[in-house]
Amino acid sequence: MTNRSLILAGIVVAVLAVSAQVQAHHGATNVYDFSKPVVMKGTITKFEWLNPHNQIYFDVTDEKGVVSHWIAATEPPQVMLERGWTRRSLKEGDEVTVYIFAAKNGAKVGNLQKIVLADGKELTAAGPASAPAPAK
Amino acid sequence: MRNRLTFLAMLSLGVATFSLVASAQAGGGAGQAPAANSKPPDLSGDWAPDGRRGGIGQSLSVSDIRGANRGKESDIPYQPWAREKTLSERTSTGPDPQFGNTTDPQVLYCEPPGVPHIYLWPIKTKFIQTPEAVYILHELGPYYRMVRLNSKHPEDPDPQWWGDSIGWYENGDTLVVDTVGFTDKTWLDQMGHPHTEKLHLTERYKRADANTLELRMVIDDPGAYTKPWNAERNFTLSKTGFLRYQQICSVRENRRFEENLAKPALPAK
Repeated sequence: MTNRSLILAGIVVAVLAVSAQVQAHHGATNVYDFSKPVVMKGTITKFEWLNPHNQIYFDVTDEKGVVSHWIAATEPPQVMLERGWTRRSLKEGDEVTVYIFAAKNGAKVGNLQKIVLADGKELTAAGPASAPAPAK
Repeated sequence: MRNRLTFLAMLSLGVATFSLVASAQAGGGAGQAPAANSKPPDLSGDWAPDGRRGGIGQSLSVSDIRGANRGKESDIPYQPWAREKTLSERTSTGPDPQFGNTTDPQVLYCEPPGVPHIYLWPIKTKFIQTPEAVYILHELGPYYRMVRLNSKHPEDPDPQWWGDSIGWYENGDTLVVDTVGFTDKTWLDQMGHPHTEKLHLTERYKRADANTLELRMVIDDPGAYTKPWNAERNFTLSKTGFLRYQQICSVRENRRFEENLAKPALPAK
């Protein structure tokens, strides 16, 4: 670590490293559908920054006006920090588009892939849908 | 917890200060090499699991890092009871996570994961090198281990969560950590691989380049496995720093995660 380029290289490596380990810890391929994210527009009702996993609560209103309550998990805070998140990344009332690897059983829970804020800012939580290696 | 964190902070500051003083003395021509077998490598940095090379994974098995082939890994020489025990465990992560119904003692009881299980967590690690010991600090817990240099194990060590660790340097680039005296209460990894109090763990930490730390391990437990076997982890430098966030095992927070997210997602029986 003797010059700026080495520092930059280190940062790049760290970012790459983190992006690849998204579902490594959970890897719950039998529980969540990692093949494609469900995409929904919703409103943040609560954002909890805590172990073992951050929890994002949001409401989705369908065309008939029926509101569904969803919860998405991310990796723990210390991993999300590496990914550029903070505990203030989301707040109640934020209008967002959520990409979530939902539970296979139909429950309104899942693992967050990414979230897009009203201003277009994108917060990535997990890698692309193809990230998890197929089970051997 | 506050007292513990204060203690850790004081410990870190203390050993860091001592290390600087010792380095200055050695550099000043005192001719006194650090208490080790070769020149100590520089292990400084905040080390995070390297996602390019397996990341944290689920299993210590090099052939089955995601834990999809539990009990049938080609590189784990199980004794029959150890295989049965592994398959009887309910994991908190992996392909079939049962977070609220797991038998993983680290989640069920919030017990220390021990080593090498701690390296299956998405947490950072830091090394504080002094002439007589290396302190390995973990973001989970936060826990730390003390590796005594130029030392011997007790003849009859008390079984403990982190065992009794001694260490030495090799080739100017590797820290070798030799640990015995483990309790048998911990799992070796997230997939429930067991061990006994006969476990003899050898860890070799090598700074492969400025940004990369390699850990190569030999798991020698004649109580559970028919022969020693190899495992590995790899680390890369973190950009957010050690202990920016403490990974705490909290029964309260675990229950909240279980009720809100884990249990609703479980497949119907």
